[in-house]
Amino acid sequence: MFLGLFFAVLAGVLVGLQNIFNTKVNEHAGTWATTALVLGLGFLASMTLGLVFEGTGLFILDNMKTWHWFSGLIGVGVVVCLVQGTRLLGPTYAIAIVLTSQLGFALLWDSLGWFGLEKIPFTFQQLIGVIVIVGGVLVFKFGGSREKQNVKQVQKQLKHHTVGR
Amino acid sequence: MRGFIFAFLAGGFITLQGVANSRISQDIGAWQAATVTQLTGFLMALLILMFVRDGKWKRFKDVRPLYLTGGSFAAVVIYGNIFAIQEIGVTLTIAVILIAQLAITFLIDGKGWFDVVKQKIRLPQFIGIGMMIAGVVILKF
Repeated sequence: MFLGLFFAVLAGVLVGLQNIFNTKVNEHAGTWATTALVLGLGFLASMTLGLVFEGTGLFILDNMKTWHWFSGLIGVGVVVCLVQGTRLLGPTYAIAIVLTSQLGFALLWDSLGWFGLEKIPFTFQQLIGVIVIVGGVLVFKFGGSREKQNVKQVQKQLKHHTVGR
Repeated sequence: MRGFIFAFLAGGFITLQGVANSRISQDIGAWQAATVTQLTGFLMALLILMFVRDGKWKRFKDVRPLYLTGGSFAAVVIYGNIFAIQEIGVTLTIAVILIAQLAITFLIDGKGWFDVVKQKIRLPQFIGIGMMIAGVVILKF
């Protein structure tokens, strides 16, 4: 339990750092060059650490199934949707939706236990927990208008949004 | 509406990625899963880049070298993600990752590290992170 929490925190900190770094690269090199660089380096780093911890055992892929190869394409889907969502909605609004959706799907997966993961039954308490977290995300993202421009942008988008319907 | 659907799907894909990696790691191991999935993702991105042909990749040299290394963190991110999902479940893993992620971004924004535009630290962001932590406590205990 404790180690699981530790690794989740470590992953979150590194994701936050990585997002900042990748945004800097993106400003210069564009979405696809950045994506290729990020995934290429991720591949090299994973292979290196894999070799350090498991030696040549890393290349024993006896139980490899065909669909495993394709799951890497999910990452490409992430990039496309993130870029388009941010372009259409502005960063604050888009990220707030992304984070909320992430949590919603997580709850769904836990309670359905798909993909042979351990099933964690859905409870009312879990739902309340997720709602409070989502509330926190919204307060964090929209509270106190950290950037007035952002809010204006969101308002403009909201207006478009309403008019568009 | 289109923007909403894209953002919604992005969130779904991010969670799906973590779940799929956990499943794959049960078959071939965590480091193997991280290596294989990023290799295919990289090849696909490279293919798209060849179609896009905007020549912008040449501008990698304009970026501070440190920032180019961000991708390598993914090895530890994916390993941590897989390990955590198997230990504490998808919902708690995603929730804790989000809190840590927003907290570090908040800290970096507040301090103006890594050439980001320094932003004033305000109360609502503290309250937001506090609420998220409270949510995790409700979720688990």
